[in-house]
Amino acid sequence: MENSGAPVAQEIQWIKSAQHGDPEAFGPLVEKHQQRVFALVYHLVRRRDEVEDLAQEIFIKAFRAIRSYNFQSSFATWLSRIATNHCYDYLRHERVARVSYYWQMGENSQQELEANLESLPEHVLDHEEQMVLKDMVSKLLDRAPENDKEILVMKELQDYSVEEIADLLKLKPTTVKVRLHRARKRMLDDLRQWREESKGHAL
Amino acid sequence: MHCDDIRDQLDKLWDGQALGEIRQHLASCAACSSYHRDLRLVRAGFSLLRQEETPAPSLGFAQRLVRQLTEVSKVPSMADFFERVGRRFVYATLALTLLAILALAVPSTGPVRALTVSDIQVPAQEASLANSDPMGESLPQESPGVAPADAPVPAVPSEAK
Repeated sequence: MENSGAPVAQEIQWIKSAQHGDPEAFGPLVEKHQQRVFALVYHLVRRRDEVEDLAQEIFIKAFRAIRSYNFQSSFATWLSRIATNHCYDYLRHERVARVSYYWQMGENSQQELEANLESLPEHVLDHEEQMVLKDMVSKLLDRAPENDKEILVMKELQDYSVEEIADLLKLKPTTVKVRLHRARKRMLDDLRQWREESKGHAL
Repeated sequence: MHCDDIRDQLDKLWDGQALGEIRQHLASCAACSSYHRDLRLVRAGFSLLRQEETPAPSLGFAQRLVRQLTEVSKVPSMADFFERVGRRFVYATLALTLLAILALAVPSTGPVRALTVSDIQVPAQEASLANSDPMGESLPQESPGVAPADAPVPAVPSEAK
């Protein structure tokens, strides 16, 4: 990925100037990494109208903490760590949604969706079916333990490589693979449990 | 192949590479088939979310942020204030502690010892004894180190003879 690895010479210069308290040098760093931070925040928080405010808070936090950046990992990775922690602080104050559109569909519609998914790629499903699937996975992510959510967002939504996630979470790549496997498994188990719960509520 | 083995092969299923053996099992096992159906739903949901257009920064986001940081950095933060005050407090405490240790370690007698009450009372008693000598036989005795050297010598009563 373009942003991984050690910072290039120009970026090092910006970082060093910012470490001496120069906000002007921080500007190009913001421009370089803003899209990645916006995407990460959006995937973690899922609220379009909150993304820019959260990203702004993240960059301010990063500027204040920039002296602690020691060039050991890539600047993008360091920034992603700050962004992830900030989003979790924000999400801890939010309530987890209990209802999914998927449970509100009739049984026939659910079966139709599953049958369509067997024969069609997901992006050709109709708008409502796509919306239902996205809503279901968003809510499963909200229900997931923080560590599972973090690793699933990075791998499945941000498309980070296993090596990059390992660098970000300070883990071995093999540990990342194991955690990813368990996170996926737990999410599927939770989907089954959630289905049972929703049946219980419907009765 | 058992159901547990199938679930452990999840990553292969997730990546859409279901092997022949797994497919055979799925066709004959309702529980694993249902598991596989859920997997497909979740994987499709992730794929759709990944394809979503993420919000982009508004025009001038970085410039506004830099302006904000410049304004903020002009005002000394509370953290800086406490750091500065705290450092001074530590230095002052260290200096006072050092003084206290010195005061305890240096003996109270010595060349720079201050006058005490007993220093003042002793010569006064000696002087009164000398003045009250009725025979005038005894010469005033110098108390070295206490009475000043040029102190007036009390009058000798020999003149009265």
